[in-house]
Amino acid sequence: MMLARVADSLYWIGRYVERAEHVARLADVMLTATLDRAETAAQVARIALSAVGDATPEKIATPFESARALTLDRMDGSSVVSSLALARENARQVRDQITSETWERLNLVHLRLSGAVAARSFNDGSSAFLHDIIADLHLFKGAADATMSHGEGWRFLLLGAHLERAQLIGRLLEVCFGRGVERLDHPTLTAVLRMSCALEPYLRVYTADVRARPILEFLLLNPEFPRSIRFSTDEIEAHLSVLARHTEAVHTGPGRLAGRLKARLQYADMAEIERDGSHVFLEGVLADCGAIHSAVYDAFVAYPLEMRLPA
Amino acid sequence: MEYGVATTQGSEEIDRGLALAAEEMAAKAGVKPPYDEMQAPDGSVRPHFAVLARRLAALGPGELDERQRTLERFFLLQGITFTVYGAESSTERIIPTDLLPRIIPADEWARIETGLVQRLQALNLFLADIYGERMILKDGVVPRELVLGAPSYRREMQGLYVPHQAYANVCGSDLIRQEDGEYAVLEDNLRVPSGVSYMLANREASKRTFPGTFRLAGVRQIDRYPDLLLSTLRSMAEWRPNPQVVVLTPGVYNSAYYEHAYLARLMGAPLVEGRDLVVHDNMVYMRTTSGLRRIDVIYRRVDDDFVDPLTFRRDSSLGVPGLFNAYRAGTVVMCNAPGTGVADDKAVYAYVPEIIRYYLGEEPILPNIETFLCREPAQLSHVLANLDKLVVKAVGASGGYGMLIGPHASIAQREEFAQAIKVDPDNYIAQPTIQLSTAPCLIDGEVEARHVDLRPFILSGEKITVTPGALTRVALRKGSLVVNSSQGGGSKDTWVLAGPGDDLS
Repeated sequence: MMLARVADSLYWIGRYVERAEHVARLADVMLTATLDRAETAAQVARIALSAVGDATPEKIATPFESARALTLDRMDGSSVVSSLALARENARQVRDQITSETWERLNLVHLRLSGAVAARSFNDGSSAFLHDIIADLHLFKGAADATMSHGEGWRFLLLGAHLERAQLIGRLLEVCFGRGVERLDHPTLTAVLRMSCALEPYLRVYTADVRARPILEFLLLNPEFPRSIRFSTDEIEAHLSVLARHTEAVHTGPGRLAGRLKARLQYADMAEIERDGSHVFLEGVLADCGAIHSAVYDAFVAYPLEMRLPA
Repeated sequence: MEYGVATTQGSEEIDRGLALAAEEMAAKAGVKPPYDEMQAPDGSVRPHFAVLARRLAALGPGELDERQRTLERFFLLQGITFTVYGAESSTERIIPTDLLPRIIPADEWARIETGLVQRLQALNLFLADIYGERMILKDGVVPRELVLGAPSYRREMQGLYVPHQAYANVCGSDLIRQEDGEYAVLEDNLRVPSGVSYMLANREASKRTFPGTFRLAGVRQIDRYPDLLLSTLRSMAEWRPNPQVVVLTPGVYNSAYYEHAYLARLMGAPLVEGRDLVVHDNMVYMRTTSGLRRIDVIYRRVDDDFVDPLTFRRDSSLGVPGLFNAYRAGTVVMCNAPGTGVADDKAVYAYVPEIIRYYLGEEPILPNIETFLCREPAQLSHVLANLDKLVVKAVGASGGYGMLIGPHASIAQREEFAQAIKVDPDNYIAQPTIQLSTAPCLIDGEVEARHVDLRPFILSGEKITVTPGALTRVALRKGSLVVNSSQGGGSKDTWVLAGPGDDLS
């Protein structure tokens, strides 16, 4: 049992932190690619910027400025600094529900990004700066895992994180492979793996054979890699099935949707996905994620009072 | 250097005026120097401060500064901050904290403690009487119109049952120390007093800064405060087997939000906002992920006016519609009770010694500051004749507005105020200018004396308990007497030393 508003905030902390980490990684990979050939750099920049929704030719042509905006632009609602400000604002509202250890990590990374020296740190060494931000966010997740009770609140936090992660990776895959497997060169494919933090785990499974099809397979269906969509949907289902146990069994909405999505990925077949076009499959997954989000709201947060008043 | 009623509320100009005039005033004959907490007039260190003095003498020059910076980092990391909203972006500042503790010996504390218990006992009885039989008004001890006409009087509370007659469950009284070293009560805060989280955070900080000294000194513990608060709140709903307590906050933009979250976390009680609560059939519920859950005790940190738009201010969105009706029906308890403000009203304050004698038949242990009520013709003429020596304050105003500091006002200002007082004498009180005691503080790496006051916290439910500690507020600017955090004030830890009979907890 916890306040609906609190569950809502924890869920959004999970989402915002996940988003911040993803965007920071995209910015970092985009900057690293500028050291490559010009065509590769432009290709990577296009993928990264499209994956967060906004790839104009000017932005692609100025990767450093674009990466800085992705990281530090307060006017951009999906920048790292904006996401973390929102995550922290939510954390402040539920300060009594998260442990001091967890709060401190989030507060610290927020202070690092919003301080007066943030822009200078970024200009002085953007890669090191982004690397530290991502490492801080891992510490936040570690602190949450190691110090918070693994009860309802923690599950809402992880539910938000995995739902966001499935959607972010889904969008990235759509951009890269949605319209048929494009002819991406080797450095670009490597960059895509880096954007999903998947390079080393991928190499372990497929060796140095970096090709589009196995990458799609790995990021969609691998059951062990924590950023594959399959893995995230397993987590979403697991958390929702426990969360629904805490509530009266009147609303099976989100649990049912999550179970169906999980099964869809568990029993998916790469050949079938390719035959129908991977964009069809990816669009279905993203639509299901959106439906789960709405169902979570209806079941736990914004339920109609008339249904719940004592008789 | 003197002090009016400006400790809690004062404008910057007033403060600057006070600081400038400090030396000039001290030069005048008849002005006694302030009482210093650490140093006796002959320059020797008072015995209870010896342990700190020895430690300070042993520290190297940069060391104190280094410790101060460590402390500030700790506060920033913990988010013990208030937000300053600017045009472009908002910044967060930590509450200025001084790391040298103020030390109170056991015998002094014993007197403060019994004095505070006595005072709150009487004030609770007063509130029960005012909202009940009104005997004290019938007996003419306190003027009827003074109480019933006070803006903080809530007629909605009339005849309402309050368990244990504990109206002010949490009270934070402001004490000051006069030139002769005598403690006096400047103000009783019975509405929604804050600052207790700073008391606890300052303690964490000073334990880190002076661990050895802390152990040596034999300081009484205050960490049980959240515990005691919870059992006080629970004692207000004894008829329920396992009462559900919640903390009601106005929300994250309130300047004391940190404290609300802190107390909720340490008590293990949900921190709720008005929008989390629903009233149905005079029962109060909170919206949880598994439906509606009934609640029994609301520790509300929302002002009277805002708790229920159906009963009090209609434009309030912070409260819960129907909450007051549920309270009247007795299905839920609000702590503090609405309407307690009538007992800390500036004019009623003058009658507190009489109130103590009336209900308890005892002499007040802690004195008041002498207060003249302009509503009494004899006192009015005294005030008008001595405007250049007094501090005059409007009863209904706060925040340093409507205040005259006689010694620093121009003749024209005094003339203007005299007119205002004559037009509406009921609205004004006057007090003599008084010194605040000073305590050593760390200012730019040097130890210097600054003016301080003292805010202990008293809990009342089934019984009354005083936590052996307090928030010592500091006027960080030299010569200043204004201790508000919004006006350049800070705070420091307060060590209450254990006496022979006290155990440390």
